[in-house]
Amino acid sequence: MSEYIPMQAEIVDMDIESPNTYLITLKLLEEGVDFRYLPGQFVMISVFGLGECPISIASSPTRRSLELCIRRAGKVTSGIMDCLVGDVVGIRGPYGNGFPLDRMKRDVVIAGGGSGFATLRSLINYIADRREEFGKVTVAYGARTSQDLYFMQEYKSWQKAGMEVAVTVDIDDEFWKGNVGLVTSLIDRFDLNPGSAAICGPPVMINAVAGKLMARGFHRADIYISLERNMKCGVGKCEHCAIGPYHVCQDGPVFSYDRVRDVL
Amino acid sequence: MKAFLQRSRLLPLLEALNQQIEVIAPVATEAGSVFATWQGQSLDLKTNPLSPPTEFLLPHKEILFRYIQESGRYTFKEDEIPPRLLFGIRPCDLHAIAVLDKIFGQPPLDQVYFSRRRATALVVQNCIAPGRACFCAALGAGPGAEDPCDLLLTDIGDGFLCEAETPAGILILNAGADLLQPAGSAHLQDKARLLQEARESMPQDRSCAQIRTAMERADWEALGRECLGCGSCTFVCPVCHCFNILDLGVPDGARLRCRDSCLLSGFSRLTGGANPRRTPGQRLQHWYQDKFEDIFQITGLPGCVGCGRCHLACPAAIDRVDLTVKGSREVRR
Repeated sequence: MSEYIPMQAEIVDMDIESPNTYLITLKLLEEGVDFRYLPGQFVMISVFGLGECPISIASSPTRRSLELCIRRAGKVTSGIMDCLVGDVVGIRGPYGNGFPLDRMKRDVVIAGGGSGFATLRSLINYIADRREEFGKVTVAYGARTSQDLYFMQEYKSWQKAGMEVAVTVDIDDEFWKGNVGLVTSLIDRFDLNPGSAAICGPPVMINAVAGKLMARGFHRADIYISLERNMKCGVGKCEHCAIGPYHVCQDGPVFSYDRVRDVL
Repeated sequence: MKAFLQRSRLLPLLEALNQQIEVIAPVATEAGSVFATWQGQSLDLKTNPLSPPTEFLLPHKEILFRYIQESGRYTFKEDEIPPRLLFGIRPCDLHAIAVLDKIFGQPPLDQVYFSRRRATALVVQNCIAPGRACFCAALGAGPGAEDPCDLLLTDIGDGFLCEAETPAGILILNAGADLLQPAGSAHLQDKARLLQEARESMPQDRSCAQIRTAMERADWEALGRECLGCGSCTFVCPVCHCFNILDLGVPDGARLRCRDSCLLSGFSRLTGGANPRRTPGQRLQHWYQDKFEDIFQITGLPGCVGCGRCHLACPAAIDRVDLTVKGSREVRR
Protein backbone atom coordinates (compact mmCIF):
# COMPACT_ATOMS: atom_id res chain seq x y z
CA MET A 1 0.00 0.00 0.00
CA SER A 2 1.52 3.29 -1.03
CA GLU A 3 1.71 6.43 1.04
CA TYR A 4 -0.75 8.04 -1.38
CA ILE A 5 -3.69 5.83 -0.43
CA PRO A 6 -5.73 7.71 2.17
CA MET A 7 -7.57 6.44 5.21
CA GLN A 8 -11.34 6.90 5.21
CA ALA A 9 -12.98 9.20 7.72
CA GLU A 10 -16.62 9.92 8.35
CA ILE A 11 -17.78 13.47 8.91
CA VAL A 12 -19.57 13.22 12.26
CA ASP A 13 -20.19 16.92 12.91
CA MET A 14 -20.14 20.23 11.06
CA ASP A 15 -20.21 23.58 12.85
CA ILE A 16 -20.39 26.96 11.17
CA GLU A 17 -17.49 29.17 12.28
CA SER A 18 -18.07 32.01 9.82
CA PRO A 19 -20.19 32.47 6.70
CA ASN A 20 -17.55 30.68 4.61
CA THR A 21 -15.88 28.46 7.20
CA TYR A 22 -16.93 25.19 8.83
CA LEU A 23 -15.37 23.26 11.68
CA ILE A 24 -15.76 19.61 10.77
CA THR A 25 -15.27 16.68 13.12
CA LEU A 26 -13.94 13.45 11.65
CA LYS A 27 -14.05 9.86 12.80
CA LEU A 28 -11.50 7.50 11.27
CA LEU A 29 -13.17 4.40 9.85
CA GLU A 30 -9.95 2.41 9.66
CA GLU A 31 -9.63 -0.22 12.37
CA GLY A 32 -6.65 -0.15 14.67
CA VAL A 33 -5.10 3.04 13.34
CA ASP A 34 -3.18 4.98 15.96
CA PHE A 35 -3.69 8.52 14.68
CA ARG A 36 -1.32 10.56 16.86
CA TYR A 37 -0.54 14.14 16.04
CA LEU A 38 0.97 17.33 17.41
CA PRO A 39 -0.40 20.87 17.37
CA GLY A 40 0.84 22.45 14.11
CA GLN A 41 0.67 19.31 11.98
CA PHE A 42 -1.64 18.99 8.99
CA VAL A 43 -3.44 16.35 6.96
CA MET A 44 -4.14 15.90 3.27
CA ILE A 45 -7.90 15.67 3.03
CA SER A 46 -9.72 14.52 -0.08
CA VAL A 47 -13.14 14.29 -1.60
CA PHE A 48 -12.98 11.45 -4.11
CA GLY A 49 -13.50 12.84 -7.56
CA LEU A 50 -12.49 16.39 -6.63
CA GLY A 51 -8.98 15.89 -5.28
CA GLU A 52 -6.85 16.55 -2.23
CA CYS A 53 -5.70 19.59 -0.29
CA PRO A 54 -3.66 20.28 2.85
CA ILE A 55 -5.58 21.38 5.96
CA SER A 56 -4.06 22.04 9.36
CA ILE A 57 -5.48 20.18 12.33
CA ALA A 58 -7.54 22.54 14.48
CA SER A 59 -8.12 20.21 17.44
CA SER A 60 -5.69 19.42 20.23
CA PRO A 61 -4.28 15.89 20.67
CA THR A 62 -5.19 16.24 24.35
CA ARG A 63 -8.87 15.94 23.35
CA ARG A 64 -10.70 13.08 21.70
CA SER A 65 -12.12 14.50 18.51
CA LEU A 66 -10.25 15.25 15.30
CA GLU A 67 -11.35 18.63 13.96
CA LEU A 68 -10.45 20.55 10.82
CA CYS A 69 -11.36 24.14 10.13
CA ILE A 70 -12.21 24.50 6.45
CA ARG A 71 -12.72 27.73 4.56
CA ARG A 72 -14.44 27.63 1.19
CA ALA A 73 -11.58 28.58 -1.11
CA GLY A 74 -11.14 26.06 -3.92
CA LYS A 75 -12.56 22.93 -5.48
CA VAL A 76 -11.78 20.51 -2.65
CA THR A 77 -12.68 22.79 0.26
CA SER A 78 -15.97 23.63 -1.44
CA GLY A 79 -16.53 19.91 -1.94
CA ILE A 80 -16.01 19.22 1.75
CA MET A 81 -18.37 22.02 2.76
CA ASP A 82 -20.99 20.60 0.43
CA CYS A 83 -20.73 17.25 2.25
CA LEU A 84 -23.31 16.17 4.81
CA VAL A 85 -22.77 14.60 8.19
CA GLY A 86 -22.23 10.88 7.52
CA ASP A 87 -20.33 11.41 4.27
CA VAL A 88 -16.89 9.86 3.88
CA VAL A 89 -13.71 11.74 2.97
CA GLY A 90 -10.11 10.60 2.52
CA ILE A 91 -7.39 11.60 4.91
CA ARG A 92 -3.60 11.14 4.84
CA GLY A 93 -1.20 12.12 7.53
CA PRO A 94 -0.57 13.62 9.96
CA TYR A 95 2.27 15.38 8.13
CA GLY A 96 4.82 18.01 9.08
CA ASN A 97 6.72 18.72 12.25
CA GLY A 98 4.25 20.58 14.49
CA PHE A 99 5.18 23.17 17.09
CA PRO A 100 8.32 22.39 19.16
CA LEU A 101 6.35 22.08 22.40
CA ASP A 102 9.32 21.26 24.63
CA ARG A 103 11.07 24.46 23.62
CA MET A 104 7.91 26.49 24.19
CA LYS A 105 7.34 25.51 27.81
CA ARG A 106 7.74 29.05 29.20
CA ASP A 107 5.92 32.32 28.48
CA VAL A 108 4.16 32.01 25.12
CA VAL A 109 2.73 34.63 22.79
CA ILE A 110 0.31 33.24 20.20
CA ALA A 111 -0.59 35.58 17.34
CA GLY A 112 -2.95 34.66 14.52
CA GLY A 113 -4.37 36.43 11.50
CA GLY A 114 -7.37 35.24 9.50
CA SER A 115 -7.70 31.53 8.76
CA GLY A 116 -4.15 31.00 10.08
CA PHE A 117 -5.76 30.95 13.53
CA ALA A 118 -7.04 27.38 12.97
CA THR A 119 -3.66 25.71 13.52
CA LEU A 120 -3.05 27.95 16.57
CA ARG A 121 -6.32 26.79 18.16
CA SER A 122 -4.76 23.32 18.36
CA LEU A 123 -1.81 24.80 20.25
CA ILE A 124 -4.00 26.96 22.50
CA ASN A 125 -6.20 24.05 23.55
CA TYR A 126 -3.13 21.87 24.07
CA ILE A 127 -1.67 24.51 26.41
CA ALA A 128 -5.05 24.97 28.14
CA ASP A 129 -5.10 21.24 28.92
CA ARG A 130 -1.51 21.21 30.16
CA ARG A 131 -1.56 24.65 31.64
CA GLU A 132 0.95 23.97 34.45
CA GLU A 133 3.72 23.14 31.93
CA PHE A 134 3.66 26.61 30.39
CA GLY A 135 4.24 30.13 31.74
CA LYS A 136 2.22 33.20 30.98
CA VAL A 137 0.18 32.74 27.79
CA THR A 138 -1.00 35.62 25.64
CA VAL A 139 -3.27 35.19 22.61
CA ALA A 140 -3.70 37.91 19.98
CA TYR A 141 -6.06 37.26 17.08
CA GLY A 142 -7.24 39.44 14.23
CA ALA A 143 -9.75 38.84 11.45
CA ARG A 144 -11.18 41.00 8.68
CA THR A 145 -14.62 41.53 10.24
CA SER A 146 -16.41 40.27 13.33
CA GLN A 147 -18.20 37.77 11.05
CA ASP A 148 -14.83 36.20 10.22
CA LEU A 149 -13.74 35.53 13.80
CA TYR A 150 -13.36 31.81 14.50
CA PHE A 151 -13.93 29.89 17.77
CA MET A 152 -15.69 32.82 19.54
CA GLN A 153 -17.42 30.48 22.01
CA GLU A 154 -14.02 29.28 23.26
CA TYR A 155 -12.35 32.57 24.25
CA LYS A 156 -13.97 32.46 27.70
CA SER A 157 -12.59 28.97 28.38
CA TRP A 158 -9.10 30.11 27.40
CA GLN A 159 -9.39 33.08 29.74
CA LYS A 160 -10.60 30.74 32.47
CA ALA A 161 -7.44 28.69 31.89
CA GLY A 162 -5.48 31.80 32.78
CA MET A 163 -4.63 33.04 29.31
CA GLU A 164 -4.80 36.65 28.25
CA VAL A 165 -6.93 36.75 25.09
CA ALA A 166 -7.33 39.81 22.87
CA VAL A 167 -9.18 39.97 19.58
CA THR A 168 -9.38 42.65 16.92
CA VAL A 169 -11.01 43.20 13.53
CA ASP A 170 -9.81 45.18 10.52
CA ILE A 171 -13.24 46.56 9.60
CA ASP A 172 -15.73 47.70 12.22
CA ASP A 173 -19.45 46.96 11.95
CA GLU A 174 -22.64 47.46 13.97
CA PHE A 175 -22.31 44.08 15.74
CA TRP A 176 -18.78 44.69 16.97
CA LYS A 177 -17.97 46.36 20.25
CA GLY A 178 -14.31 45.33 20.57
CA ASN A 179 -10.93 46.39 19.19
CA VAL A 180 -10.47 47.67 15.66
CA GLY A 181 -7.01 47.58 14.11
CA LEU A 182 -4.11 45.29 13.37
CA VAL A 183 -2.89 42.39 15.51
CA THR A 184 0.29 44.39 16.13
CA SER A 185 -1.75 46.99 17.99
CA LEU A 186 -2.78 44.24 20.45
CA ILE A 187 0.85 43.21 20.96
CA ASP A 188 1.69 46.82 21.86
CA ARG A 189 -0.77 46.69 24.73
CA PHE A 190 0.47 43.46 26.32
CA ASP A 191 2.87 43.36 29.22
CA LEU A 192 5.36 40.79 27.89
CA ASN A 193 8.54 39.12 29.03
CA PRO A 194 10.72 37.66 26.26
CA GLY A 195 9.77 33.99 25.80
CA SER A 196 8.57 31.93 22.87
CA ALA A 197 5.99 32.82 20.24
CA ALA A 198 3.84 31.09 17.64
CA ILE A 199 2.57 33.06 14.65
CA CYS A 200 0.38 32.09 11.72
CA GLY A 201 -1.18 34.45 9.21
CA PRO A 202 -0.41 36.46 6.09
CA PRO A 203 3.33 37.20 5.53
CA VAL A 204 2.87 40.95 6.16
CA MET A 205 1.28 40.21 9.52
CA ILE A 206 3.96 37.64 10.45
CA ASN A 207 6.77 40.11 9.73
CA ALA A 208 5.02 42.91 11.62
CA VAL A 209 4.32 40.80 14.71
CA ALA A 210 7.80 39.21 14.70
CA GLY A 211 9.29 42.70 14.40
CA LYS A 212 7.30 43.94 17.41
CA LEU A 213 8.30 40.89 19.47
CA MET A 214 11.99 41.22 18.62
CA ALA A 215 11.81 44.88 19.64
CA ARG A 216 10.51 43.63 22.99
CA GLY A 217 13.53 41.35 23.44
CA PHE A 218 12.29 38.08 21.90
CA HIS A 219 15.01 36.10 20.14
CA ARG A 220 14.17 35.39 16.49
CA ALA A 221 15.00 31.69 16.99
CA ASP A 222 12.25 31.52 19.64
CA ILE A 223 9.57 32.84 17.30
CA TYR A 224 7.89 29.98 15.46
CA ILE A 225 6.06 30.56 12.20
CA SER A 226 3.60 28.17 10.60
CA LEU A 227 4.04 28.61 6.84
CA GLU A 228 1.36 28.25 4.22
CA ARG A 229 2.50 26.66 0.98
CA ASN A 230 0.83 24.96 -1.96
CA MET A 231 1.29 21.26 -1.11
CA LYS A 232 0.31 18.34 -3.30
CA CYS A 233 1.98 15.21 -1.96
CA GLY A 234 2.68 15.91 1.72
CA VAL A 235 5.70 13.60 1.64
CA GLY A 236 8.44 15.86 0.25
CA LYS A 237 8.45 14.63 -3.34
CA CYS A 238 6.29 16.85 -5.56
CA GLU A 239 8.40 20.02 -4.95
CA HIS A 240 5.42 22.38 -4.78
CA CYS A 241 6.32 23.55 -1.26
CA ALA A 242 10.12 23.53 -1.68
CA ILE A 243 12.04 26.39 -0.11
CA GLY A 244 15.74 25.82 -0.71
CA PRO A 245 16.61 22.33 0.57
CA TYR A 246 13.51 22.29 2.81
CA HIS A 247 10.10 20.88 2.01
CA VAL A 248 7.49 22.75 4.04
CA CYS A 249 5.36 19.58 4.20
CA GLN A 250 8.10 17.54 5.86
CA ASP A 251 10.61 19.95 7.41
CA GLY A 252 7.83 22.42 8.32
CA PRO A 253 5.24 23.82 8.30
CA VAL A 254 6.62 25.25 11.56
CA PHE A 255 9.95 27.04 11.22
CA SER A 256 11.75 29.40 13.53
CA TYR A 257 11.68 32.96 12.23
CA ASP A 258 15.45 33.14 11.67
CA ARG A 259 15.20 30.31 9.12
CA VAL A 260 12.35 31.67 7.01
CA ARG A 261 12.57 35.45 7.38
CA ASP A 262 13.92 35.83 3.83
CA VAL A 263 11.31 33.69 2.10
CA LEU A 264 8.12 35.14 3.57
CA MET B 1 29.94 -11.49 -17.30
CA LYS B 2 31.44 -9.99 -20.45
CA ALA B 3 30.64 -10.90 -24.05
CA PHE B 4 30.87 -9.53 -27.58
CA LEU B 5 27.82 -9.12 -29.81
CA GLN B 6 28.26 -8.57 -33.52
CA ARG B 7 26.29 -5.62 -34.90
CA SER B 8 24.16 -7.90 -37.09
CA ARG B 9 23.20 -9.94 -34.02
CA LEU B 10 21.70 -7.00 -32.09
CA LEU B 11 18.20 -7.26 -33.61
CA PRO B 12 18.00 -11.03 -33.08
CA LEU B 13 18.93 -10.43 -29.40
CA LEU B 14 16.19 -7.80 -29.08
CA GLU B 15 13.71 -10.11 -30.77
CA ALA B 16 14.58 -12.88 -28.32
CA LEU B 17 14.09 -10.46 -25.40
CA ASN B 18 10.85 -9.16 -26.86
CA GLN B 19 9.41 -12.68 -26.51
CA GLN B 20 9.87 -12.43 -22.75
CA ILE B 21 9.38 -8.81 -21.75
CA GLU B 22 8.19 -5.43 -23.07
CA VAL B 23 11.23 -3.75 -24.59
CA ILE B 24 11.44 0.07 -24.62
CA ALA B 25 14.09 1.31 -27.02
CA PRO B 26 15.05 4.49 -28.90
CA VAL B 27 13.26 4.16 -32.23
CA ALA B 28 13.52 6.40 -35.28
CA THR B 29 10.37 8.39 -36.08
CA GLU B 30 9.62 11.31 -38.39
CA ALA B 31 9.81 13.54 -35.30
CA GLY B 32 13.24 12.20 -34.38
CA SER B 33 14.38 9.56 -31.98
CA VAL B 34 11.95 8.59 -29.18
CA PHE B 35 11.84 5.93 -26.49
CA ALA B 36 8.90 3.66 -27.32
CA THR B 37 7.78 0.07 -27.07
CA TRP B 38 9.89 -1.77 -29.62
CA GLN B 39 8.03 -3.99 -32.04
CA GLY B 40 10.56 -4.27 -34.79
CA GLN B 41 10.80 -0.56 -35.78
CA SER B 42 14.19 0.72 -36.87
CA LEU B 43 16.36 1.65 -33.91
CA ASP B 44 18.14 4.96 -33.54
CA LEU B 45 21.08 4.34 -31.24
CA LYS B 46 23.00 7.39 -32.49
CA THR B 47 20.99 10.23 -30.92
CA ASN B 48 19.72 10.43 -27.36
CA PRO B 49 15.96 11.14 -27.60
CA LEU B 50 14.85 14.62 -26.49
CA SER B 51 12.21 13.07 -24.24
CA PRO B 52 14.14 11.27 -21.48
CA PRO B 53 13.68 7.58 -20.59
CA THR B 54 12.86 8.58 -16.99
CA GLU B 55 9.30 9.11 -18.24
CA PHE B 56 8.95 5.32 -17.93
CA LEU B 57 9.68 5.58 -14.19
CA LEU B 58 7.76 8.80 -13.61
CA PRO B 59 5.20 8.90 -16.42
CA HIS B 60 3.58 12.14 -17.58
CA LYS B 61 0.39 10.66 -16.20
CA GLU B 62 0.00 7.60 -14.01
CA ILE B 63 -2.62 6.10 -11.74
CA LEU B 64 -1.67 6.20 -8.05
CA PHE B 65 -4.72 4.12 -7.14
CA ARG B 66 -8.31 3.52 -8.14
CA TYR B 67 -11.23 4.23 -5.82
CA ILE B 68 -14.44 2.26 -5.99
CA GLN B 69 -17.48 3.49 -4.09
CA GLU B 70 -20.12 1.26 -2.59
CA SER B 71 -22.77 2.52 -0.13
CA GLY B 72 -20.71 5.61 0.64
CA ARG B 73 -17.56 3.64 1.54
CA TYR B 74 -14.54 3.19 -0.68
CA THR B 75 -12.18 0.39 -1.62
CA PHE B 76 -8.81 1.17 -3.17
CA LYS B 77 -6.91 -0.75 -5.79
CA GLU B 78 -3.39 -0.29 -7.09
CA ASP B 79 -2.60 -1.34 -10.66
CA GLU B 80 -0.06 -4.08 -11.33
CA ILE B 81 3.15 -2.71 -12.82
CA PRO B 82 4.25 -4.95 -15.72
CA PRO B 83 7.97 -5.74 -16.00
CA ARG B 84 9.83 -3.78 -18.68
CA LEU B 85 13.24 -3.47 -20.18
CA LEU B 86 14.63 -0.03 -20.96
CA PHE B 87 17.11 -0.59 -23.77
CA GLY B 88 19.82 1.77 -24.97
CA ILE B 89 19.55 4.52 -22.37
CA ARG B 90 22.62 6.73 -21.93
CA PRO B 91 24.91 7.07 -18.90
CA CYS B 92 23.60 10.60 -18.23
CA ASP B 93 20.04 9.29 -17.94
CA LEU B 94 21.24 6.37 -15.82
CA HIS B 95 22.85 8.93 -13.52
CA ALA B 96 19.56 10.85 -13.46
CA ILE B 97 17.84 7.64 -12.33
CA ALA B 98 20.41 7.35 -9.52
CA VAL B 99 19.47 10.91 -8.43
CA LEU B 100 15.72 10.13 -8.67
CA ASP B 101 16.28 6.96 -6.60
CA LYS B 102 17.74 9.12 -3.84
CA ILE B 103 14.99 11.75 -4.05
CA PHE B 104 12.11 9.25 -4.07
CA GLY B 105 13.96 7.12 -1.52
CA GLN B 106 13.94 9.90 1.10
CA PRO B 107 11.62 8.75 3.90
CA PRO B 108 8.77 8.20 3.50
CA LEU B 109 9.73 6.12 0.47
CA ASP B 110 7.66 6.66 -2.69
CA GLN B 111 6.26 3.15 -3.26
CA VAL B 112 4.68 4.05 -6.58
CA TYR B 113 8.01 5.17 -8.05
CA PHE B 114 9.87 2.16 -6.69
CA SER B 115 7.32 -0.37 -7.90
CA ARG B 116 8.03 0.90 -11.43
CA ARG B 117 11.75 1.13 -10.76
CA ARG B 118 11.97 -2.45 -9.50
CA ALA B 119 10.00 -3.75 -12.47
CA THR B 120 12.33 -2.07 -14.96
CA ALA B 121 15.56 -3.63 -16.20
CA LEU B 122 18.17 -1.13 -17.44
CA VAL B 123 20.33 -1.78 -20.49
CA VAL B 124 22.69 1.16 -20.90
CA GLN B 125 24.62 2.21 -23.96
CA ASN B 126 27.89 4.03 -23.33
CA CYS B 127 28.26 7.32 -25.22
CA ILE B 128 31.01 7.23 -27.81
CA ALA B 129 29.63 10.13 -29.88
CA PRO B 130 28.19 12.81 -27.58
CA GLY B 131 25.59 15.24 -28.95
CA ARG B 132 26.23 18.92 -29.63
CA ALA B 133 24.76 20.16 -26.35
CA CYS B 134 26.22 17.42 -24.13
CA PHE B 135 28.45 18.20 -21.15
CA CYS B 136 28.03 15.13 -18.94
CA ALA B 137 31.81 14.69 -18.58
CA ALA B 138 32.08 17.98 -16.67
CA LEU B 139 29.40 16.81 -14.22
CA GLY B 140 30.69 13.27 -13.74
CA ALA B 141 27.62 11.72 -15.34
CA GLY B 142 29.24 10.24 -18.47
CA PRO B 143 30.25 9.44 -21.16
CA GLY B 144 30.94 6.05 -19.56
CA ALA B 145 28.32 4.66 -17.17
CA GLU B 146 29.43 4.75 -13.54
CA ASP B 147 26.09 3.99 -11.87
CA PRO B 148 24.68 0.49 -11.42
CA CYS B 149 22.65 -0.96 -14.29
CA ASP B 150 21.81 -4.48 -15.43
CA LEU B 151 23.65 -4.58 -18.73
CA LEU B 152 26.16 -2.14 -20.20
CA LEU B 153 26.79 -1.96 -23.94
CA THR B 154 29.64 -0.16 -25.70
CA ASP B 155 29.61 0.24 -29.48
CA ILE B 156 33.20 -0.63 -30.44
CA GLY B 157 32.85 -0.50 -34.22
CA ASP B 158 31.89 -3.90 -35.59
CA GLY B 159 29.73 -4.76 -32.60
CA PHE B 160 28.98 -4.24 -28.94
CA LEU B 161 30.95 -5.10 -25.85
CA CYS B 162 28.33 -6.38 -23.39
CA GLU B 163 28.99 -6.25 -19.67
CA ALA B 164 26.33 -7.82 -17.43
CA GLU B 165 26.47 -6.35 -13.94
CA THR B 166 23.50 -8.05 -12.22
CA PRO B 167 21.71 -11.42 -12.34
CA ALA B 168 19.03 -9.70 -14.46
CA GLY B 169 21.77 -8.56 -16.85
CA ILE B 170 23.10 -12.12 -17.18
CA LEU B 171 19.55 -13.34 -17.87
CA ILE B 172 19.23 -10.73 -20.62
CA LEU B 173 22.44 -11.96 -22.23
CA ASN B 174 21.37 -15.57 -21.84
CA ALA B 175 18.28 -14.80 -23.90
CA GLY B 176 20.65 -14.57 -26.84
CA ALA B 177 23.40 -16.90 -25.63
CA ASP B 178 23.92 -18.45 -29.06
CA LEU B 179 24.40 -14.99 -30.59
CA LEU B 180 27.33 -14.03 -28.37
CA GLN B 181 31.07 -14.43 -28.69
CA PRO B 182 33.58 -14.27 -25.85
CA ALA B 183 34.95 -10.80 -25.12
CA GLY B 184 38.73 -10.24 -25.21
CA SER B 185 41.07 -7.65 -23.74
CA ALA B 186 41.18 -5.92 -27.15
CA HIS B 187 37.47 -5.17 -26.77
CA LEU B 188 38.06 -3.64 -23.34
CA GLN B 189 40.92 -1.54 -24.69
CA ASP B 190 38.70 -0.31 -27.54
CA LYS B 191 36.05 0.68 -25.01
CA ALA B 192 38.55 2.62 -22.86
CA ARG B 193 39.98 4.43 -25.91
CA LEU B 194 36.58 5.36 -27.38
CA LEU B 195 35.30 6.67 -24.04
CA GLN B 196 38.49 8.73 -23.56
CA GLU B 197 37.99 10.26 -27.03
CA ALA B 198 34.34 10.99 -26.24
CA ARG B 199 35.31 12.61 -22.95
CA GLU B 200 37.86 14.85 -24.64
CA SER B 201 35.40 15.87 -27.36
CA MET B 202 33.08 17.45 -24.79
CA PRO B 203 33.37 20.91 -23.23
CA GLN B 204 35.17 20.65 -19.89
CA ASP B 205 34.25 24.11 -18.61
CA ARG B 206 30.70 23.39 -17.46
CA SER B 207 31.20 21.84 -14.05
CA CYS B 208 28.85 22.29 -11.14
CA ALA B 209 31.21 24.94 -9.69
CA GLN B 210 31.34 26.84 -12.97
CA ILE B 211 27.58 26.83 -13.36
CA ARG B 212 27.26 28.05 -9.76
CA THR B 213 29.56 30.95 -10.68
CA ALA B 214 27.36 31.70 -13.71
CA MET B 215 24.33 31.62 -11.38
CA GLU B 216 25.94 34.18 -9.06
CA ARG B 217 26.46 36.72 -11.80
CA ALA B 218 23.21 35.95 -13.64
CA ASP B 219 20.63 38.73 -14.02
CA TRP B 220 17.60 36.58 -13.21
CA GLU B 221 14.97 39.19 -13.92
CA ALA B 222 16.50 39.88 -17.34
CA LEU B 223 16.58 36.12 -18.03
CA GLY B 224 13.00 35.95 -16.81
CA ARG B 225 11.97 38.49 -19.44
CA GLU B 226 13.44 36.15 -22.09
CA CYS B 227 11.86 33.03 -20.56
CA LEU B 228 8.47 32.12 -22.04
CA GLY B 229 7.54 30.19 -18.89
CA CYS B 230 6.58 27.18 -21.01
CA GLY B 231 8.27 24.57 -18.83
CA SER B 232 9.82 22.78 -21.84
CA CYS B 233 13.21 22.56 -20.10
CA THR B 234 11.63 20.86 -17.10
CA PHE B 235 9.65 18.35 -19.15
CA VAL B 236 12.75 17.19 -21.06
CA CYS B 237 14.99 17.15 -17.97
CA PRO B 238 15.65 13.58 -16.79
CA VAL B 239 16.02 14.74 -13.16
CA CYS B 240 12.96 17.01 -12.99
CA HIS B 241 10.21 15.25 -11.07
CA CYS B 242 7.66 17.89 -9.99
CA PHE B 243 4.15 16.50 -10.02
CA ASN B 244 0.57 17.27 -9.23
CA ILE B 245 -2.10 14.94 -7.84
CA LEU B 246 -5.67 15.02 -9.11
CA ASP B 247 -8.81 12.91 -9.29
CA LEU B 248 -10.69 11.72 -12.32
CA GLY B 249 -14.14 10.14 -12.03
CA VAL B 250 -17.20 10.16 -9.76
CA PRO B 251 -18.27 8.05 -7.89
CA ASP B 252 -15.63 5.55 -9.06
CA GLY B 253 -12.41 6.74 -10.59
CA ALA B 254 -8.70 7.11 -10.13
CA ARG B 255 -6.31 9.42 -8.34
CA LEU B 256 -3.66 10.43 -10.83
CA ARG B 257 -0.16 11.75 -10.60
CA CYS B 258 0.70 14.13 -13.45
CA ARG B 259 3.95 15.85 -14.23
CA ASP B 260 4.09 19.52 -13.29
CA SER B 261 6.73 22.22 -13.65
CA CYS B 262 8.12 24.77 -11.21
CA LEU B 263 8.54 27.16 -14.15
CA LEU B 264 4.78 27.41 -14.68
CA SER B 265 3.30 30.51 -13.06
CA GLY B 266 0.70 28.74 -10.91
CA PHE B 267 3.06 26.12 -9.50
CA SER B 268 3.58 27.64 -6.07
CA ARG B 269 0.56 29.96 -6.01
CA LEU B 270 -1.45 29.69 -2.80
CA THR B 271 -5.21 29.35 -2.64
CA GLY B 272 -5.65 32.98 -1.62
CA GLY B 273 -3.72 34.14 -4.69
CA ALA B 274 -0.36 35.00 -3.07
CA ASN B 275 2.58 33.55 -4.96
CA PRO B 276 5.96 33.00 -3.27
CA ARG B 277 7.64 32.90 -6.71
CA ARG B 278 5.84 35.58 -8.66
CA THR B 279 8.13 36.40 -11.58
CA PRO B 280 9.53 34.15 -14.34
CA GLY B 281 12.99 35.25 -13.17
CA GLN B 282 12.33 34.03 -9.62
CA ARG B 283 11.09 30.72 -10.98
CA LEU B 284 14.11 30.26 -13.25
CA GLN B 285 16.43 31.09 -10.37
CA HIS B 286 14.61 28.55 -8.20
CA TRP B 287 15.05 25.87 -10.88
CA TYR B 288 18.81 26.44 -10.97
CA GLN B 289 19.05 26.77 -7.19
CA ASP B 290 17.24 23.45 -6.84
CA LYS B 291 19.49 21.65 -9.34
CA PHE B 292 22.87 22.95 -8.28
CA GLU B 293 22.40 23.61 -4.55
CA ASP B 294 19.32 21.99 -3.01
CA ILE B 295 19.27 18.55 -4.68
CA PHE B 296 23.03 18.41 -4.07
CA GLN B 297 22.43 19.14 -0.39
CA ILE B 298 19.71 16.46 -0.13
CA THR B 299 21.25 13.66 -2.23
CA GLY B 300 24.96 14.48 -2.44
CA LEU B 301 24.62 14.65 -6.24
CA PRO B 302 23.85 17.66 -8.46
CA GLY B 303 20.38 17.72 -10.00
CA CYS B 304 21.88 18.19 -13.48
CA VAL B 305 23.50 15.42 -15.52
CA GLY B 306 24.73 17.52 -18.44
CA CYS B 307 22.48 15.93 -21.07
CA GLY B 308 21.92 19.37 -22.62
CA ARG B 309 18.24 18.71 -23.35
CA CYS B 310 17.08 21.98 -21.71
CA HIS B 311 19.40 23.85 -24.00
CA LEU B 312 17.97 22.11 -27.09
CA ALA B 313 14.34 22.43 -25.98
CA CYS B 314 14.30 26.09 -24.89
CA PRO B 315 12.14 28.02 -27.41
CA ALA B 316 13.48 31.33 -26.06
CA ALA B 317 17.03 30.22 -26.90
CA ILE B 318 18.33 31.06 -23.43
CA ASP B 319 21.88 29.76 -23.10
CA ARG B 320 21.15 27.35 -20.28
CA VAL B 321 24.76 26.97 -19.30
CA ASP B 322 26.39 30.38 -19.30
CA LEU B 323 23.13 32.14 -18.33
CA THR B 324 23.92 35.36 -20.15
CA VAL B 325 21.14 37.36 -21.76
CA LYS B 326 21.58 37.28 -25.49
CA GLY B 327 18.54 39.45 -26.11
CA SER B 328 17.19 36.86 -28.51
CA ARG B 329 13.72 38.36 -28.43
CA GLU B 330 15.12 41.76 -29.39
CA VAL B 331 17.00 40.16 -32.27
CA ARG B 332 13.87 38.42 -33.53
CA ARG B 333 11.94 41.66 -33.54
